[in-house]
Amino acid sequence: MQYILDGFVEAFYLIFSFDPEIFQIVGLSLFVSLTSTLISTVIGVPLGILLGINNFRGKRTVSRFLYTFMSFPPVIIGLFTALFLARSGPLGQFRLMYTPTAMIIAQMVLVTPIIMGIVFNHASNSGYDVVQTGKTLGANRINILTLLILELKGGIMIALVTGFGRAISEVGAVMIVGGNIKGFTRVMTTFIAMNNNMGQYSVSIAMGIILMTISFLTNSILYHFSEGAKYEDRD
Amino acid sequence: MKIETNHIVKKYGDKVVLDLNGQYSRLLFESGKITGIIGSNGSGKTTLMKIMAGLISAIDGEVRYDGQTFDQDIAMKITYANQRPVLFSRSIYENIAYPLRIRKYPEEEINRIVRGLLEEFEIADIQKQNAKHLSGGESQKTALARALSFSPEVVFLDEPTASIDPKSVQVIEAALKRRNADTGLTVIIITHNLAQAFRLCDRLVFLNQGECLLYDTTEKMRQAQNTTIQEFISFNAF
Ligand SMILES: Nc1ncnc2c1ncn2[C@@H]1O[C@H](COP(=O)(O)OP(=O)(O)O)[C@@H](O)[C@H]1O
Ligand SMILES: [Mg+2]
Repeated sequence: MQYILDGFVEAFYLIFSFDPEIFQIVGLSLFVSLTSTLISTVIGVPLGILLGINNFRGKRTVSRFLYTFMSFPPVIIGLFTALFLARSGPLGQFRLMYTPTAMIIAQMVLVTPIIMGIVFNHASNSGYDVVQTGKTLGANRINILTLLILELKGGIMIALVTGFGRAISEVGAVMIVGGNIKGFTRVMTTFIAMNNNMGQYSVSIAMGIILMTISFLTNSILYHFSEGAKYEDRD
Repeated sequence: MKIETNHIVKKYGDKVVLDLNGQYSRLLFESGKITGIIGSNGSGKTTLMKIMAGLISAIDGEVRYDGQTFDQDIAMKITYANQRPVLFSRSIYENIAYPLRIRKYPEEEINRIVRGLLEEFEIADIQKQNAKHLSGGESQKTALARALSFSPEVVFLDEPTASIDPKSVQVIEAALKRRNADTGLTVIIITHNLAQAFRLCDRLVFLNQGECLLYDTTEKMRQAQNTTIQEFISFNAF
């Protein structure tokens, strides 16, 4: 048991020593996951709203697909992305494999359905009523879009935070397409996995603490918005 | 604004829920009148009203607004208040101000109009509350104040006073009557309350299973010989 305790002591020492390598890794993790979440937002939010507020044939099939995609394991998504980005793959000419860009792409594939699915769900519940009500008050298309975003903002925030939480904590996809290259594609989760394999528990724990702090923060934000959104969906 | 419907038909799936044909295939809703739509549940009242308000489309027939077909210009002059009010998650004040904000009214003007409505509908003391947490009467009054804020020419009301307190009903009826008398607001109202229909309306439309059985003055409706109508009236006796 001693090594666990030692691990924690050393972990705190590591965190407060402000090791530049640790900083660089945390920075890259945040950069990759925030960027992928941002791109996923730009794609997923409008599409989720559009699918949610409209009734069309095959809507159920679309939502079933979305929910399936939402729960895809990161390793599988990493594998798929790798197949596309590999030298001999369809996008091989861009030489993206084992770069932060590849990691962003993989996480984007992971997160977009999550954001889209959650927004879709909220928009299906209350979006149609908001659109109809906007129309009765003379709102034009742009007014209605603004109104929808404001009315669904709780749900949209939940989607973003959930998406980001999934991205920052996943290891499978970034490991496969990033390769955990020191100083280049090494992020928190791959760093932890690697050090754990090498028996260096204290650095793993140190990074684990940082990762958990970030997770904790995102979850508190998530909790805050979920409480707010309860009222939003209510009739 | 004068509204005319012509041979409206609406289907959901294979089921015809509205089919205005025969003697009452054309319904003319004159400007400045208060018209009631009555009939039992599922008779197509909401469907007809939503079609006239431009919210859903009919599969056949047409609606003319002062002779024109529906467009954004007309949408800006009419309004529809849902049976189940959908308020925005912002204060009561901001809900009422919404139609004025999108029409780019100056701030002082918005303030003046909204204050007037808050007083008239007796909701001034709760104006800062979020509109998502209101009682039935408060929601209806807020929704109605919002609908009337931009002085529409026509207001469609879908059971605005079903299941709310008598005092709120009175406030709502008074507001409608005042606007009708002062500005010639055209009111088209669905109600299950026959006393209210007789109190408020100049004319009544009676719908039954998607068809119009009678469209005439309130007085004629009372004396109607049709057994369905007579039954309906006696069941709803007050
Ligand atoms: N969106 C819809 N989908 C399928 N059926 C509907 C829909 N809306 C209304 N209906 C049906 O149309 C008929 C008329 O409904 P409605 O106009 O709401 O009646 P009312 O307002 O007179 O109670 C009812 O049988 C109802 O079940
Ligand atoms: Mg109805």
